[in-house]
Amino acid sequence: MISAVLPDRLPWYLAGPALGLLVVGFFMFTNQPLGATGAYVETAKTVRRVPGAVSWRAFYFVGIALGGLAAVLLKEDGFVARKGYDVLLDANDMNLSLPVASAVIFVGAIVMGYGARMAGGCTSGHGICGTAQRSPASWAATISFMSAAVVTTFFVNQF
Amino acid sequence: MTPSTSHKIIGLLFGAGFGFVLAAANLHEYKTIHDMLSLKEFDVFLLMGGAIGVSLPLLALLERNKAKTVLGGTLSLSRSPVKRQNVVGGALFGIGWALSGTCPAPALVMLASGAGLAIITIIGLFIGLGLRDAQTSRAAGTAVTGDGEHRETVAAR
Repeated sequence: MISAVLPDRLPWYLAGPALGLLVVGFFMFTNQPLGATGAYVETAKTVRRVPGAVSWRAFYFVGIALGGLAAVLLKEDGFVARKGYDVLLDANDMNLSLPVASAVIFVGAIVMGYGARMAGGCTSGHGICGTAQRSPASWAATISFMSAAVVTTFFVNQF
Repeated sequence: MTPSTSHKIIGLLFGAGFGFVLAAANLHEYKTIHDMLSLKEFDVFLLMGGAIGVSLPLLALLERNKAKTVLGGTLSLSRSPVKRQNVVGGALFGIGWALSGTCPAPALVMLASGAGLAIITIIGLFIGLGLRDAQTSRAAGTAVTGDGEHRETVAAR
């Protein structure tokens, strides 16, 4: 096991600018933004061999998981096989049963995917890449999803 | 090397960089996103602000100087006017994001970090995206492609 090279949590003032530089760097290589919604869409098309699929977006999709794993392995805790979603499952917290928590996550993810495709992007596409291009559509989508998420979380926290 | 191979390598590398930073900042943990959206801590808002604060002025400067990209010709940014779908879709996205506690890219990192339930999130995302695509194709329209997603440019494939 590699000992902790990375802190438990890289502070925002390093992680934020690092993401910003990745966005600019990707533009300077490919003239393309880094949105993750499009990566899901093109990966699904690539796997189903739909003509015109942008297959290199599938490499981007896989890269996200591999890079994430690399960072996790450089932290003290490393890779830990677990359920995840502790806040939903913990007895001291929301204390949901596994089937109920799974249903909430599943429904949430379907609504999230549907909404992302309707809006034309997600937190990375609209929230970072679109806003950085000074796109009015992206700023509107970002303000909309941030507000909706904060309001929804307020109601979730009432349980 | 063909443009396609270069795109695959660049895509893989930048995906890895993106995933690395997300995991380093703990954005793949449900608790991080939940605390942010509960307005208990503002680190993730500041993180996004930091990302925009660095990339927005740099891209503006590069655009003004008509910078040449390596594989895609002269740098071109997209600025679409606001459509109803951006706002309505965004609101739905926000509701789903709050319930599932992760968004599309961090969900992949969540699974890669060992959190098994993230597979439910990823499958749900694919289903949701597919439902919207099925709906738009039945209506003989095309899905809105936002300014942060893939677009047709020189040698885009």
